[in-house]
Amino acid sequence: MSNAFAPVRLALAAALTLAAAAGSAAQPLVRGLDGAPVAPLSGDTPATVLLFTAADCPISNRYVPEVRRLAASYAAAGVHIWLVYANRGESPVAARAHATAFDYGLPVALDPGGVLADRAGATVTPEAAVFDRAGRLAYLGRIDDRYLDFGVDRPVPTTHDLADALAAVIAGRPVPVARTHAVGCAIVRHEP
Amino acid sequence: MTRLVARAWRCTFALALVAAALIAGPAEAQVAQARPVTEAPTGPVTFTQHIAPLLHSRCAQCHHAGGAGPFNLVTFDDARRRAGQLAAVTASGFMPPWKADGHPGEFVAQPRLTPADVAVFAQWAKAPVEGPGTAPVPPIWPQGWYLGPPDLVVTLPAGYTLPGEPSDVFRIFAVPLPVSSTRYVRGIEFHPGNAAVVHHANIRIDRSDGSRRLDQADPAPGYDGLMARSAEYPDGHFLGWTPGQIAPLVDGDLAWRLDPGTDLVVQLHMQASGKPEAVRPTVGFYFGDRPATRTPSILRLGSQGIDIAPGDGRYLVADRYTLPVDTTLLAVQPHAHYRAVDVTGTATFPDGTTRTLIHIGAWDFRWQHVYRYTEPIRLPRGTTLAMRYVYDNAPTNPRNPQTPPARVRWGQRSFDEMGDLWFQLATESPEDRARLGSEVQTKMTTEDLIGLDTMLLSSPDDTELHDDAGVLALLLGRPVVAVGHFRATATLRPTLAAAHYNLGTALTSAGLLDDAVASYEKALALRPDYAVALSNLGDTLVMLGRDQEAVRRYEAAVAADPALPEAHNNLGAALWKRGDVARAERELQRALALRPDYADAYFNLGHVALLIDGARAAAPHFRRAAALKPDWVVASISAAWLLATTAESDVRAPFEAAQLAERAAQLTGRADPRVLDTLAVAYAASGRFDEAVRVAREALAVAGGPLEQDIALRLAMFERGEAFVDKR
Repeated sequence: MSNAFAPVRLALAAALTLAAAAGSAAQPLVRGLDGAPVAPLSGDTPATVLLFTAADCPISNRYVPEVRRLAASYAAAGVHIWLVYANRGESPVAARAHATAFDYGLPVALDPGGVLADRAGATVTPEAAVFDRAGRLAYLGRIDDRYLDFGVDRPVPTTHDLADALAAVIAGRPVPVARTHAVGCAIVRHEP
Repeated sequence: MTRLVARAWRCTFALALVAAALIAGPAEAQVAQARPVTEAPTGPVTFTQHIAPLLHSRCAQCHHAGGAGPFNLVTFDDARRRAGQLAAVTASGFMPPWKADGHPGEFVAQPRLTPADVAVFAQWAKAPVEGPGTAPVPPIWPQGWYLGPPDLVVTLPAGYTLPGEPSDVFRIFAVPLPVSSTRYVRGIEFHPGNAAVVHHANIRIDRSDGSRRLDQADPAPGYDGLMARSAEYPDGHFLGWTPGQIAPLVDGDLAWRLDPGTDLVVQLHMQASGKPEAVRPTVGFYFGDRPATRTPSILRLGSQGIDIAPGDGRYLVADRYTLPVDTTLLAVQPHAHYRAVDVTGTATFPDGTTRTLIHIGAWDFRWQHVYRYTEPIRLPRGTTLAMRYVYDNAPTNPRNPQTPPARVRWGQRSFDEMGDLWFQLATESPEDRARLGSEVQTKMTTEDLIGLDTMLLSSPDDTELHDDAGVLALLLGRPVVAVGHFRATATLRPTLAAAHYNLGTALTSAGLLDDAVASYEKALALRPDYAVALSNLGDTLVMLGRDQEAVRRYEAAVAADPALPEAHNNLGAALWKRGDVARAERELQRALALRPDYADAYFNLGHVALLIDGARAAAPHFRRAAALKPDWVVASISAAWLLATTAESDVRAPFEAAQLAERAAQLTGRADPRVLDTLAVAYAASGRFDEAVRVAREALAVAGGPLEQDIALRLAMFERGEAFVDKR
């Protein structure tokens, strides 16, 4: 295989995946921190969470302890939570350093093409998307209602939207509020 | 006689958060000239023409590599990826973090945006393009010290780690300031060390060991809780730090005094980053070369009786104060917690006009600035300063820390509420400063006592609160109130000797001498070698005329603690009254060896010396007593009387005597016959008989009893042109 050929194949693969994603629930191609492809939505689990994050978003970072608690709480129920770096141009080096420093303990997906963000419709970090066993989007939005706006946050949240969504999906019930407004840093979509 | 209250101030005072102003001094010259947009551009908004100048002049002083902001806002890429966020935070007023209204340039380092600037960010977010042309060269931000090389650098202890949550954490550090001689501080520069989490710093100094003991009681560096009452703003200066702001150095005439043994107290407000973070700030000190001659004053308006019902969406706190002297307002510092929503300070001038000094229409607990006026504001005598804060304790207030809302009272924890407006005022003279200071101290202490009463409503059995309240009540001259608080402690902790001792002290002040003796006896039953209790019991026995018992108690006191100057002094005084002048002199000399600036001991020693060796030996002691305590009227007139009337003519010093008596007359408002009598004899001794006659008549008008007859006899002498000589 010649070196010159490889990028063309990659580009083709991505294009095919996008086309497939638009048409059905086929798995988009994204990569892990080691560069190998990962498929967050391929598991046969009751629920999968894509948690969109960025290496330089303070609001996203402040949710790390809450995210760890959620992951621990729902692990027994078989819920998978993926950390998705969705900013275009986010380097694997920066993402790896960030994931390690904040000690998420979660599987990581690098999504610089925004494939997963598009699939979920996510626009900011942190934002959570919950998919059910069939790969249908069941919830998109905030983790809880701590942040109302930049610089306006509750000392204690009064709703736990992501946890409520997970509980509903696991129980096979409809999610009570399937879409909420997430406050955070815009996911970068332009070319660097 | 000197009475002691054994407990140091308990440390409760806190959360008066301070900050400082002025953007980077030396760097300013290099900053690209800001081109603030005054009206919305008609053509397309571009990074190079419109956005870069705004970012560089209003945002990037924090948002640059190594700055206090969490990300950079310098280049096109930095801005483009946050174009929507820039539009949102400038529209909401969250950024730049400047909360007060005011016309441009009213305050020092006011990074405000005009409505047109905000519109530019909104327009650019729709189409975030770069060119045409090239962007201005970003400023070069100085690395290191903005104010230049400091004279002293203090680093907080290593080893404190902020956990990844909760969101807002307060921690207090007490650090010794290593100076070997007195210094005069013109300013400080605070470096957060970890700008990602240090949100702001509230900085004070502690001239006692109050803060140090609290810090040492916590095994980790620093401590959680409240600032010590002894941690203070030094000599009328706000200290502190908020991101991007550094207070300018003050003129040497305003410098604050830093004595050896002083601790720096830094309360850090930190916002968790989501992971553990090491935090180790550094503070640079800049010294002047001389003591201050124009020390400013601090006034605090506010209420410590705050009590907000759950659901009350519009609770008001208001306070006012009319200035007794001419002043100039240099800066203000509002302080409140989560539920405050609207903060106003005003001045109403003697002609009836009113000016808004500060207004924050969307109060945000996280941004505790000091607001310094570019042009200090003259506030003439008779100006009324006022504050009016609005609180929202409804469930619809997102910043309400309690869901559902609860009854909230005044308190220093962040979930309690506070409402203070601090003023930094310059006065025209030291006399004006003293007058203002004494009124303000009484006002603030009165409010502090209300605050303690408020906290006692929630914690009626907190003996430390009762003790603090008792001490403040004594300071305010309300001994009956003090008795109530100390009695509560003594009842709650009957085996605590100090509780009965404090109660005894308050009972003595209240004139309930027999009860006081009983309390001291209880303290001594629990701790027989309690030296200060023995000494104070002696004082009370003297007041009851039981001098012999008093001497026995004083003797026990000096035996229990030979290093207690009060006990030696009081024993000396009691012995002198009983005629044992030789022993009295020895005890008083011991007191002075232990405390060389002990005015009371000099005063007593003067009387003893007068009996032993006469006026020549006594004069220096009386002079010293009067010099050490210039406001002590009895010491001044005792010195004046001796220097004016002694039969030893070469010891006489009539001019000095007149000066001392004039000051005493001023202090007593010319209403004390003994003081006026002394002033008259001093004038007569100086040959100023006309004045002597006039003052003696003044004295007669207010005198009564035997003193009246003496003054009448002396008046007759002055009218004949004769001075009075005391032959006793």
